[in-house]
Amino acid sequence: MTEDQEKSFVKLVNENQGLIHKVCILYETDKEARNDLFQEIVLQLWKSFPTFRGEAKITTWMYRIALNTAISGLRKLGRKIKTEELEEFHFNISDNTEDHFEENFQRLQWAIRQLSEIERAMIMMALDEVPYDEIAENIGITQNNVRVRMNRIREKIRTLIR
Amino acid sequence: MEELEDLKQIWRSHEQGYEPKKESEIAVMLQGRSNSIIGKLKRNVWFELIFTIACSVALLVYALTLEAGAIMWTIISLIVLFTAYLFYYVKKLLLLGKFDASGGNIKSSLENLYQKLTVYVNFYRKSYTVLYPVYFFLGLFFGALETGLDGFISRMQEPKTVITLVVLMGLFFILGFVATHFYLKKLYGNHLTKIKELLNELQG
Repeated sequence: MTEDQEKSFVKLVNENQGLIHKVCILYETDKEARNDLFQEIVLQLWKSFPTFRGEAKITTWMYRIALNTAISGLRKLGRKIKTEELEEFHFNISDNTEDHFEENFQRLQWAIRQLSEIERAMIMMALDEVPYDEIAENIGITQNNVRVRMNRIREKIRTLIR
Repeated sequence: MEELEDLKQIWRSHEQGYEPKKESEIAVMLQGRSNSIIGKLKRNVWFELIFTIACSVALLVYALTLEAGAIMWTIISLIVLFTAYLFYYVKKLLLLGKFDASGGNIKSSLENLYQKLTVYVNFYRKSYTVLYPVYFFLGLFFGALETGLDGFISRMQEPKTVITLVVLMGLFFILGFVATHFYLKKLYGNHLTKIKELLNELQG
């Protein structure tokens, strides 16, 4: 690929790197593994970049590759955070009200990581305002199925966070 | 907090909750190599392929310096075996080249991965099932060269030798098969099981 293509790709990843970071946070537990996954996603995006023609939204394309890399990219699957880690969050967070948002985010993140890999992908896209038809397309199931599963996921998160 | 809109709000409140990468860091990542298992498998097969070619060439050069005899024929039979391995490695590379985990949606990628990985593992298993008899008969061949053809034929006529060989052959095949099965299960078994579970979840 040309130098210009490389530059535009790097710019594109830089502008949308939040999406990749979120996938890494939800699918890997330690910093080193997250960095490895980040690099792997960037490499897979780069590999697929010539086939991206701009027909799909850039975020849809990035979600698809990032989630495929995290879920089916033959990485170590099935890792979940132990329940005790939620208690550790409580020890690490002070009573200061400014930390309230951080605590809520940590609890949500912990709850999502208790879900299966597929459920994690669905809730992550839903939280990022991806419409149900795009979620259905990215996962490979029907929109109705997405609705049913999303209800179940919300119920699970409700129970986990309570 | 439980409803989706509340969850979205919490999610958005942490938009910058990560250490952003600089453009230069991202550019460096493009020069890196893939750490996926497929990437590692490909590198391993390439290493084995190059190592086998190097050994074959070295053995061939050495064989050319020898006079006709047991050692020369032993080396030539090893070169023939290594040549068979070259086809085996090329076939493995072709199978690995068919993996594309990022093309379609998650379900089709998992299906593709499951199917391709199953084909790869089966090829691995079948190859070794074929190679064990080759190893065994090569062992016999070397034995024949060592003892001389006449001595070898006369020993093969003794019932005790035949029974010992049959028992050894049985043990060799069974242990070889069990070891390959165990090795493949350890390497890929958990992964195949996990992919199957994910596919069942998607179909359920």
